[in-house]
Amino acid sequence: MSIFYITDDTAPAGADDGDEVVVLVAAGEVDFAAAPQLRERICEQIDAGRRRLVLDVSTVTFIDSTAIGVLVGAITRLADAGDGSLTIVCGEENRPVMRIFDISGLTGLVEVHRTREEALSALVTAG
Amino acid sequence: MRWAAEQGHVRCDVGELQLPAEPSELGAARAFAERAAVAFGLDGDDCYDLAFAVNEAVTNAIRHGAPDRQGRIHLSFIAGVDRLTIAVRDYGQFVAPVASSDARSEHGRGFPLMARLTDAVRVRVDPGRTTVYLSKARA
Repeated sequence: MSIFYITDDTAPAGADDGDEVVVLVAAGEVDFAAAPQLRERICEQIDAGRRRLVLDVSTVTFIDSTAIGVLVGAITRLADAGDGSLTIVCGEENRPVMRIFDISGLTGLVEVHRTREEALSALVTAG
Repeated sequence: MRWAAEQGHVRCDVGELQLPAEPSELGAARAFAERAAVAFGLDGDDCYDLAFAVNEAVTNAIRHGAPDRQGRIHLSFIAGVDRLTIAVRDYGQFVAPVASSDARSEHGRGFPLMARLTDAVRVRVDPGRTTVYLSKARA
């Protein structure tokens, strides 16, 4: 049985423009069965006007090509919307998922940080 | 169903699984591949890679292929002397994957990933059925 869940949490970025950073946390197995939920949650945030999304996949144990496609779609939508960005958080210990990101070329399209704190402070610095 | 035959030092195990062609069954497809890979003696990374490739092939079968009359996709494995092959069969007409070299494309990553993560990917197209064979050699 596949287990997947995603939660969100609006974290204050501390940036001068007051723009909110939204942190989404995915866990479990993100396959073709779960990818639509991932897409929905990301699109909800973009539709709500959020432009800086952080997706923490540290506890994702499996991610397939359809989920990678969802992430690439989100990157494109955020870029098209102006100065939006998607930042990925993937802990160092999560080697299987990092490897899939590398092989699929995703790491060439997004910033990947080891911790949520690191991702948020990079966003604040980027302003 | 599973049987083993031993002839001299050539050992061959075969197993199969039929799954409803539903996205919710992908976990069972990965577990089948993982079990076959562990039993065959592939190391941890290789087991993960083969299960990943099988997941991609079954996803394609569900998305682009067609199930048998009972609504199922067929998985089987053949354990040879030095390589394990998992076959994923559907009963649709093969649709050539759209290979995209654009890193920003949302589709077309399945086959390139299968090729990267296995030692061989073969597609056999017969009238009314398509079979993808994914092989991984013992290190």
